[in-house]
Amino acid sequence: MNVPLLQPISKAIKPYEFGSRELQVNQAVLGIHGLDVQFTGVNFLESLVSEFSPSTSSAMGLPREFHEQCRRSLEIDYLKMFYCWARDAALSVTNRIVESKSEVPEVKVCNAALRLMLQILNWDFHLNNNSVKTSINVFSAGARLDIDSSKRSECTLVQPGPAWRDVLISSGHIGWLVNLYAALRQKFSREGYWLDCPIAVSARKLIVQFCSLTGTIFLSDNGQMHEHHLLQLLSGIIEWIDPPEAVAKAIGCGKSESEMLDGCRALLSIANVTTPFVFDRLLMSIRPFGTLTLLSTLMCEVVKVLMSTYPEEETWSWEARDILLDTWTALLVPLDSTGGNAMLPPEGINAAGNLFALIVESELKAASSALTDDVDGDYLQSSISAMDERLSSYALIARAAIHVAIPLLTKLFSERFARLNQGRGIIDPTETLEEVYSLLLIAGHVLADEGEGETPLVPYAIQTYFTDNMGADEHPVIVLSSSIIGFAEQSLDPKMRASVFSPRLLEAVIWFFARWSCTYLMNPEEVRETQSQDHQLQSQQLRKGLHSFFREHNQGKLVLDIIVRVSVTTLLSYPGEKDLQALTCYQLLHALVREKHICVHLVSLDSWRNLANAFANEKSLFLLDLAHQRSLAQTLVHSASGLINSEASNQYIRDLMGHMATYLRELSSKNDLKSVAQQPDIILLVSCVLERLRGVATASEPRTQKAIYELGFSVMNPILVLLEVYKHESAVVYLLLKFVVAWVNGQISYLEAHETAIVVDFCMRLLQLYSSHNIGKISVSLSSSLLSEAKTEKYKDLRALLQLLSSLCSKDMVDFSSDSIETQGTNISQVVYFGLHIVTPLISLDLLKYPKLCHDYFALLSHLLEVYPETVAQLNSEAFVHVLGTLDFGLHHQDAEIIDMCLRSLKALASYHYKETASGKTGLGLHAAGHKDSGGNLQEGILSQFLRSLLQLLLFEDYSPDLVGSAADALLPLILCEQGLYQRLGNELIERQANPTLRSRLVNALQSLISANQLSSTLDRINYQRFRKNLNNFLIEVRGFLRTM
Amino acid sequence: MSDSEEHHFESKADAGASKTYPQQAGTIRKNGYIVIKSRPCKVVEVSTSKTGKHGHAKCHFVGIDIFNGKKLEDIVPSSHNCDVPHVNRTDYQLIDISEDGFVSLLTENGNTKDDLRLPTDDSLLSQIKDGFADGKDLVVTVMSAMGEEQICALKDIGPKN
Repeated sequence: MNVPLLQPISKAIKPYEFGSRELQVNQAVLGIHGLDVQFTGVNFLESLVSEFSPSTSSAMGLPREFHEQCRRSLEIDYLKMFYCWARDAALSVTNRIVESKSEVPEVKVCNAALRLMLQILNWDFHLNNNSVKTSINVFSAGARLDIDSSKRSECTLVQPGPAWRDVLISSGHIGWLVNLYAALRQKFSREGYWLDCPIAVSARKLIVQFCSLTGTIFLSDNGQMHEHHLLQLLSGIIEWIDPPEAVAKAIGCGKSESEMLDGCRALLSIANVTTPFVFDRLLMSIRPFGTLTLLSTLMCEVVKVLMSTYPEEETWSWEARDILLDTWTALLVPLDSTGGNAMLPPEGINAAGNLFALIVESELKAASSALTDDVDGDYLQSSISAMDERLSSYALIARAAIHVAIPLLTKLFSERFARLNQGRGIIDPTETLEEVYSLLLIAGHVLADEGEGETPLVPYAIQTYFTDNMGADEHPVIVLSSSIIGFAEQSLDPKMRASVFSPRLLEAVIWFFARWSCTYLMNPEEVRETQSQDHQLQSQQLRKGLHSFFREHNQGKLVLDIIVRVSVTTLLSYPGEKDLQALTCYQLLHALVREKHICVHLVSLDSWRNLANAFANEKSLFLLDLAHQRSLAQTLVHSASGLINSEASNQYIRDLMGHMATYLRELSSKNDLKSVAQQPDIILLVSCVLERLRGVATASEPRTQKAIYELGFSVMNPILVLLEVYKHESAVVYLLLKFVVAWVNGQISYLEAHETAIVVDFCMRLLQLYSSHNIGKISVSLSSSLLSEAKTEKYKDLRALLQLLSSLCSKDMVDFSSDSIETQGTNISQVVYFGLHIVTPLISLDLLKYPKLCHDYFALLSHLLEVYPETVAQLNSEAFVHVLGTLDFGLHHQDAEIIDMCLRSLKALASYHYKETASGKTGLGLHAAGHKDSGGNLQEGILSQFLRSLLQLLLFEDYSPDLVGSAADALLPLILCEQGLYQRLGNELIERQANPTLRSRLVNALQSLISANQLSSTLDRINYQRFRKNLNNFLIEVRGFLRTM
Repeated sequence: MSDSEEHHFESKADAGASKTYPQQAGTIRKNGYIVIKSRPCKVVEVSTSKTGKHGHAKCHFVGIDIFNGKKLEDIVPSSHNCDVPHVNRTDYQLIDISEDGFVSLLTENGNTKDDLRLPTDDSLLSQIKDGFADGKDLVVTVMSAMGEEQICALKDIGPKN
């Protein structure tokens, strides 16, 4: 028997239970029938276990629940038994292996047994955790639920529970395993054994796996049993990695690195199940130093090896570094928000300090040596995110030894700044620049956390760090920050800029500023006070010193001014450097205007006023990327929140944007507009102005709403004129539409009735104009890519128009104005339907293949039909047919969400008609009634058509089961509206059924669908619920045979 | 009539105006126009990179010739100027398609423009011819740049107008 054959057998066994074969297998595994049979038996068990584990089981066409039952029974009844067999099998051959001088056939069996044990320990144990649960939850059973216990998701913990204690812990099993491997190590020089021979690899893997053992298997004796277990393992593992220098040297001379890497992995596993203190203490009993020191020296060795090899060589040291970094992270990442657990014992702090110094050295070396290689963009992007992760791990190490790390960084910075200053114009600064670049990234990570959308606090390690006799401005963080800020300030000098501040370096500076200022700049006071209650007075005052240093009355305003001036420099003096300007616009400036108390100071700064002035008047800012200009406009408008009152804010916006609105007005009234407008320079200018207006419009706030409304109002006519002139210039048309969308969206809920009427009228003219330009238009081009571009542009335009309609719709929901819009005779529903009527002919079924457009369209449609069904009845028949045509298209869409929206629309439509007709009104009127088309054929009313196609869908086509509920909601009113048709369709189905038993089942099911559960013919909640149940039962009863027959 | 004179006057002034304009490379976007190898192109792709680690940015353009559909590429430092073609589009009503492959177009001032050839490509040709043969009222859009002209779109203005 060979291994590939085993898989089918274990599959064959699976459907039955494993009962009677037990004895035979047991005998085989214990070696009664000889070695070969023993080997086969163990292999057989291994594939059995893998087959029963849901993640590796093969698809046998059986339900998921069956697999779950199998794994349950295996875990409860057999797993431990198998493990004991494997252990006994391994034990039975151990002596032979240890005693013999060369390789013996028993090795094969032992290796297989070790692999089986590993396989079993890899089992996803979770039944003992919730053994009370009787039924199996098929859907959640696959997911592991150990969120609370694992700090890092990559490391899986082994938690077999108390039942396994006797086998794994108390029986000396670990001791045996460690000794076995130790014995193997002795033999590595001999024939048949080497470091990577299968049995050695399996033994090491098993040892590493044992390091992850945790949970209720250990007694709750304050972790003593666990600690003893880990110590036992560590005493074996220590041989693989200690002393680090010797190990690294041996690998350098050609020894295989796998043992050392496994040692690192074992440390990672241990770090994942212990606290830093326990981790450090483990080694104390067998070595004169703690585990942290070992970890630090080991990693230092790895970093040294890294430094001496070429960066592009993918060697073992990379892997070892990543594993060890993960180990540090596992130890240092705070478990709760206070970060209390991240504190290390003193010896560990020193170890971390040494390590950080070496890491920085290696990073600097890597930076200055990696100058020559010209890496391409894609690779760079992926390596940046990897680097980010690495840097945050470094930051954790640095914060653990804050007293060394920050002064070290300060020293390194000042050395490099001095070198740059001295060597100006004499030596090529590139190497130093690259070093400063790396240092800036490291310092940014060490000093501040990424906010991820929230305001980040000063890192705990920095908050709590202080020493005696230190003045407020001597705090190392302040010293470091000040020196970086001082360096950045030099970029304001044109000469320095030319010789030192390359775009890349300034990118790092801006990135650092953005990150740093979120945490430190003008930090609001109250956050601090609540936190510092339980600490000593001295530390509290010092901390206050740190925080208040960069606050408004101290250096804060000065620093803010420097930051703004540096930002302005990047925008004005670095033409065409998009990446740098993007960082400035999106990260730094956005971060600055996020807080109101910073805005207050911003608007009082001359430098900020200069920026606003340059924005309004200077040509050079029109050369920025369009999206950057938009963002800049948004930022400037946001900063108006720092002005004293809304009067001042509105005036500020008028000053900022007045010129541009005037420009558009003047341009649009020119006589020769038609020819002038096509000039590239005019197109560029118009695009810039439109993007800026859009940026302003997106920044609408109640305070500035008035000025922004006036701004938009003043360019309404120019917009229409430009839309006409630029009808062939799709890029400009898109900008025009996007501005209107942003403006309406920001304004609509504040507008008074007469203003609403104006805006609505404007939107309708816009829609009509757009439609008249584009309906029936065909682009002709040789290039297929230009044609598809044209299509994409059309899609984007239409999406903008739908967004416009949706914004108009929202006026009925959110309205802050003083009077009702009805006073001006504006009916939003009519307006939106009219708009839809203009837009829908442009939306071909082809365009609905763009998922976003499709989604937007159906979202709007279902909203309209649900909220204003009465207006749809007033659409003319052409528009009505088009709307319903798209509905039919959506019903057969693949996206369940879109089908759901269509079903909701149908429900709204049918229930409206039913309720109206019941009260004697016309409802959908002609649309619902059948009529004769031009050819004289009888056309069914639309409700009949939908009843037919919905039944067809439910009974014969594929759809997600989640949709049955909403399908029921749509089907009920349809059936009520069209009772006659429903009966006919039912009879058709029955007649087609030849088999008498199935036929009677069908008759009964159809009957009970509309009568069971006391279903009545009203459309209320209870009735909908009943019908949902009925439909579910109906589908369960008949869909199976209807689809297959 | 004065209308027409003004038009003529203007188009003469146009003829003297430059066919291209300089524009900073960094400001040219996707969907804009650019001159690459003396051909007017529509930009379909822009990417930026740096010359060396601490050097300046440069833009990499991929353009498609708006007349013959060929793909062209160019790399320009982003602070330098590029030529941007002056692309004009004018609508004319289609009056006739002649046997020898020319179209007859009605200009805004009532004259006819008869010097424009139909495209040679079969599928484009059939799109135009089929529309015309169906008796629809067609408006064609003529794109002109750097001394070349071509029909770039047609539109059925329908029975309503």
